[in-house]
Amino acid sequence: MSEQVRDVAAVEQETANIQPPENPPKKVYRERHVIARTGADIFSPIALVMGMCVILHGNISPGGGFQGGVLVASVVVMIYLAYGYKMAMRTFNLEVLHNCESVAAILYIVIAMIGILSGGVFGQNVFYQIGETGELFSGGTISYMNFAVGFKVLTGIAFLILMMLSILSPDAEIEGEVSEVLDE
Amino acid sequence: MMQHFPVLAIFALFLGAFVSSLIRNKTARNGVVVLSVLTSFGLLCALVKPVMLEGEIISYWLGGWKPVADYAIGIGLEVDALSLFFGLVVGLAVIVSALYSFRYLEYDDAQSKYYTLYLILGGGVLGLVLSGDLFNIYVMVEIMTFAAVALTAYRNFMPGALEAAFKYLVIGSIGSTCILVGTAMLYLQYHTLNLAQLSALISGTAMPSSILAFGLLIVGFACKAFLVPYHPIAADAHGTAPSSISVIISGVLTKTGVYGIIRVCYCVFRAMDQSAVQVFLVLLGTISMFVCVTMALAQHDFKRLLAFHSISQIGYVITAIGLSTTFGLASGLYHAMNHTIFKGLLFLCAGCVLHQTGTTKLDELGGLSKRMPKTCTLFLIGAASISGIPPFNGFASKWLIYQAVYQRASETGNLFYVFVVLVALVTSVLTLASFVKVAQSVFFGQLPEKLKDTQEAPAAMRAPMWIFGGLCILTGLFPAVVVNYFTGPAAAAALNAGSYIDAMMGAGYAGRLSTVPVTVPALQINTLGFYDPITWIVLLLTVLLAFTIVSLMGGRARGARIQGEAIDPKYDTFFGGEAGEYSQVGGADLFWGFKHNLRHYFSFMHGAHSGVVNDYALWGITAVAVTVAYMFLFL
Repeated sequence: MSEQVRDVAAVEQETANIQPPENPPKKVYRERHVIARTGADIFSPIALVMGMCVILHGNISPGGGFQGGVLVASVVVMIYLAYGYKMAMRTFNLEVLHNCESVAAILYIVIAMIGILSGGVFGQNVFYQIGETGELFSGGTISYMNFAVGFKVLTGIAFLILMMLSILSPDAEIEGEVSEVLDE
Repeated sequence: MMQHFPVLAIFALFLGAFVSSLIRNKTARNGVVVLSVLTSFGLLCALVKPVMLEGEIISYWLGGWKPVADYAIGIGLEVDALSLFFGLVVGLAVIVSALYSFRYLEYDDAQSKYYTLYLILGGGVLGLVLSGDLFNIYVMVEIMTFAAVALTAYRNFMPGALEAAFKYLVIGSIGSTCILVGTAMLYLQYHTLNLAQLSALISGTAMPSSILAFGLLIVGFACKAFLVPYHPIAADAHGTAPSSISVIISGVLTKTGVYGIIRVCYCVFRAMDQSAVQVFLVLLGTISMFVCVTMALAQHDFKRLLAFHSISQIGYVITAIGLSTTFGLASGLYHAMNHTIFKGLLFLCAGCVLHQTGTTKLDELGGLSKRMPKTCTLFLIGAASISGIPPFNGFASKWLIYQAVYQRASETGNLFYVFVVLVALVTSVLTLASFVKVAQSVFFGQLPEKLKDTQEAPAAMRAPMWIFGGLCILTGLFPAVVVNYFTGPAAAAALNAGSYIDAMMGAGYAGRLSTVPVTVPALQINTLGFYDPITWIVLLLTVLLAFTIVSLMGGRARGARIQGEAIDPKYDTFFGGEAGEYSQVGGADLFWGFKHNLRHYFSFMHGAHSGVVNDYALWGITAVAVTVAYMFLFL
């Protein structure tokens, strides 16, 4: 066994021995300013709907998967700004986001391969005769590839933002000791 | 059906990357990784017969967006023998390194992320060499660079890992930016990004913007190949990256730089008939090979030493490419392939040493041949190959490169090429010297007390290494087969820009648009002949006999003790046959006379490589400026 690995194992052993304190301090979240909370409450649903709309209409209007995905992911930042780091981490499950991102990428490749299976080439648009031109579901497989991109971007960017927040952990120290005084 | 194989080979790796990140079970995940790399390599192997042997060129428009009114509007993949050659080299290295890392990473956590990034890296490189679109190449360069940066910092508990990754990120971005700006300049001028169409439009029109783009693209790809002055980041990155990633960075990422330079110089700009470009590339290669081999001689870390050698060998490849002859190009590609094989083997040996002992510092190792004899055998094969000792592959390809440079010198009567051959020979000797040093300080010499309990590397790690080890011998024994069926067609494809254009843009396009007619020089290989192993064995035996006679009949009686005045026997003069004396000869003790005589040079180099990323960035920017100025002055 290599030296570094032994060191890591030793550290793990030590951390395993540390017992949790008898009376863990009551979890207190830092209350943000009322303007921030109200703003987030109002704008989060709008951002979600707007982002989804941009993703879905990628084939018939400006925008598309990437732009819509980033709009949706901005909700993570709003929740962090309004309710703090711990609330953001409690609202979103990193594991689920990560898996969804992989699934979205797989979906993209699989949908693109339909082009080959239907006798064309990779990424070719098929099934586009369904629906009237200008309708939402009239774009064929290209629009479904666009949905996959949107799904991938919204999960990926949300995951990235949460990773950045957890590395910075900006107010982990403030939270846990400060009570609702800040709300006044 | 066959035309789908390149795109499926690329996406087999990407699909494997994302599927493997979903699977929790270790065995199942490793199975997915093996399946995806084998699928990718198998699809490429199926293309060998039509593309390599029959000279077919596969063109593929993604999404079915074919050119409209002779203008390429979609993204194209184009696979000729040159692309396929690099694709096969990439696929092989990715397979061997993946098989090796299953056991090698047994102590590391976050393996799922490792394999995801690893397969994305492989897919990015494969996408780069098979692509027929300049912007697509840029995207793939970014994908592979960022994956490589993340994997460099994979063992972030190692001191210097994050720093190395940061340096790689900063300096690598200089190269990426150059490629992007060069691409943008070409798009402004010619309104297309397709390599084939660019090749047809650019020929014969030396606009200032296209010269600027040419200079920037060359610097960008040279940065990706870590040529001088971008070499210091490679040493840092290899020093801390896992060995399985070092194989990819040295064997595969540097090849993308080589591929880019060949594609840009020979195919897109068709600028290799300009003597200024030839001299530039040969000079770049010669400087790289010499500077890096002397840097390697002064290293005290196994993997850093290998990293500098890696760039030194790429210097050979670039020199051969710069000759602008079919023979030179074929021998350069041969050496590029051999470099992936033997350098991969050596990095995997370093990985075995790290896995079993926990260190790669040359001063702390020694005598491991008694504890790890099987790894030692593999190391000796790799070291003999890189040093150019017959009958291994490094000798065959270096021999061809010397021949090619000599041939060029006799054709042009230019003394510059004679000088290049001399530098190449000296570099080869210094390579051998530094591998004698490595072998002495890692596998031979005294076994330190700390390493008494070292075990042999597990068979699961040695088995993939034998793939490389076997190839070292096979490709060295049959150089004529490799050149005729493998690198020769690739070199011919690189020079045959006309059929490259016609395959992509429709027959007759090159003749219609191109102002400069495309001529394909015939492949002339057997100028001085391949080397004859029998003669070399006779020579070896003769020299050995001479040594034996001198040793038996020479100065002192057998078994005599040295009556030296030195404190340590390592300073005494041995003649042969004397009684053994205990002496700890460290790696730094070897060649001390040589290093002492060149102490001014070495201390200058030591001071120049400060390890500060600002300095290296300054070197990089200077290189961009100098290259662009050179191109404007001489083109």
